[in-house]
Amino acid sequence: MKTYTFNASQNFFKRAAKVIPCGIYGHMSPAPLVPATAYPFYAAKAKGSKFWDVDGNEFIDYMCAYGPMVLGYNHEKVDSAAIKQIQSANCVTAPTPLMVELAECLVDLIPRADWAFFAKNGGDVTGYALMVARAATGRKKIVMVEGGYHGVAPWAQPPGSHGTMEDDSRNIIRIGWNDTAGFERVVNENDGEVAGFIATPYHHPTFADSEMPAEGYWQTIETLCKRKGIVLIVDDVRCGFRLDLRGSHEHFGFKPDLICFSKAMGNGYPISALVGTESLKSDASKVFHTGSFWFAAAPMAAALASLEELKRINGPAIMAEKGKKLLDGMVAIAKDYGLELKVSGHPSMPYLRITNDESLMLHQDWCGECTKRGAYFTSHHNWFISTAHSDEDIQRTWDIATDALQATKKAYGF
Amino acid sequence: MVLMNKGLHRKNEQLIKAHLNLYAVLKNLEDLVSHDPDTARLVKKWDVSIAFNVLGGPKACVEFKDGCCTVGKGRCRRPPVILFFTSPAHLNRMMEGKANSIPLRGFTKLGFLKKDFTQLTDRLEYYLRPNAALLKDRHYLELNTRLTLSTAAFAVPELGRYDPIGRLAAGRAGNGAVNIKILAQGPAVHVVFRDETIQAGRGEVEQPAALMQMKDWQVANDFFNNKTDPFTAIASGDVIIKGRIPLLESLSLILDRIPHYLS
Repeated sequence: MKTYTFNASQNFFKRAAKVIPCGIYGHMSPAPLVPATAYPFYAAKAKGSKFWDVDGNEFIDYMCAYGPMVLGYNHEKVDSAAIKQIQSANCVTAPTPLMVELAECLVDLIPRADWAFFAKNGGDVTGYALMVARAATGRKKIVMVEGGYHGVAPWAQPPGSHGTMEDDSRNIIRIGWNDTAGFERVVNENDGEVAGFIATPYHHPTFADSEMPAEGYWQTIETLCKRKGIVLIVDDVRCGFRLDLRGSHEHFGFKPDLICFSKAMGNGYPISALVGTESLKSDASKVFHTGSFWFAAAPMAAALASLEELKRINGPAIMAEKGKKLLDGMVAIAKDYGLELKVSGHPSMPYLRITNDESLMLHQDWCGECTKRGAYFTSHHNWFISTAHSDEDIQRTWDIATDALQATKKAYGF
Repeated sequence: MVLMNKGLHRKNEQLIKAHLNLYAVLKNLEDLVSHDPDTARLVKKWDVSIAFNVLGGPKACVEFKDGCCTVGKGRCRRPPVILFFTSPAHLNRMMEGKANSIPLRGFTKLGFLKKDFTQLTDRLEYYLRPNAALLKDRHYLELNTRLTLSTAAFAVPELGRYDPIGRLAAGRAGNGAVNIKILAQGPAVHVVFRDETIQAGRGEVEQPAALMQMKDWQVANDFFNNKTDPFTAIASGDVIIKGRIPLLESLSLILDRIPHYLS
């Protein structure tokens, strides 16, 4: 199988490195793509489940823009709605009625939602959720899960991260995932001081297997929160509309007070939302939180179209089915080579790891070899399956995975 | 959480710096003797051990024998020369050339200390304080890079234990060894994180959990002297990382603390 080269990407990167910190920063930095030289850095175009890089290489995309792409790139219905809205009004001095329609849509769709608030990124609404919880309770401390990702605000970053200060984490308490006893302990130790508990519906850290909630985990957390007057916040930014259109808490059977959405909401258009219960609406209204582009109408039109389409086709069911098919095949292929490919997390956003090499170097090399053959895999982050991934894509991916294992075999002697 | 007052904070900074000076900077004497022919000639016939004793701070033993130098942690066994420092800050000032040590033993060796040993430390300083002109010389570039690499590796256990941010980063690293190597035939060092302890050493360990490899001497020199940002170096392929990335992230955070103490 022919492998790709990335000369144009590298040339753009050389230019970028002179004028942009890191060349490409944040979660799209090539640095954690191991080896970085096996990956394209710049995209030229995208359609459906695929994107093409600036070297003309075609990739079946299993990162889906790290989550925002859910129905396929350049989706006709979503793009048409956004373009139509741009042609009438987008970023204007007043919001358009679409804001009302979108809020009504979310309130109808999500049983726990009595109201909705819009912004641009997941981090905008996780930060807002903390402020609402503090405003509602008059308390300062927030409990979160160690390794949980809630954006890049200083409070959300691991203590000691560059640019953060000790004070940024002073009121953040970290506990282990699935540790209800730990939660009860910190709540008792900080009695009357904990404003909120924030966590993702299931634990999906980078560089580690995903972990589902243990039986009764969320229900215990919910009970403790209710008993102690703590606001229960779900960061559904990554899982939202992929596991269950009504919110991932419905999938896991619990009732949060605030829910953060973004990524899949607008199929690539920049929008996020915090939804909440009636009891917090008044406090939410008192917290001043805004941004220059948060009222832009085109992303709201895209979100309405996207949610409508996901509902029409039952998107979560399609993604779960495609994911299961893809992963069952991949596990079997690895087994044929005497390797264990461990899959964790939900089938629509799986985290994969070849367990035979604890250092993960074999897994990293295999992911790199797959990418050089046209299946874009990362080795450190959960993947995303969209409704646009076809059976042909899956078959092609299996062929690539096999060829990449064959190529990796010699170096690792399996 | 105990809030440190400014005085205590400064005192702690001096203590950490003293640890780095003794166990990471002075440690470079070993490489200097092995890789600089002029230094090798200078120490060829030395048979002496020198104790560095810092009141309220670290202790080290520098031994010269058979043309080799070893810098060890802790006390020397019956050293003929003891250099005493009244505080970590005193040691740090001495390392910056702004103070003298107090010889407690070895008065017969005063001439050696004043002349020969000073020649050695001057040589070390020369190789640790590069400028653009010096770095054009291949031997200088390689030795400066080797010493910088070694300083970085041996600084990690000290920072992981004593520096507040280093401690946080070390706590998140998990267990495993990282090999750091200059390709193709350059030197290597390793750092092992295990059960909240950190050890550093020269050479590579077998079955590392992670690798950090520099394409060549120049890349390594730029990398360890903060002349290039790691993300760009990795993306461009100049620096290759592999294996357990959280280990490398923690290591990187700890390495980033070095300039806070050592210029």
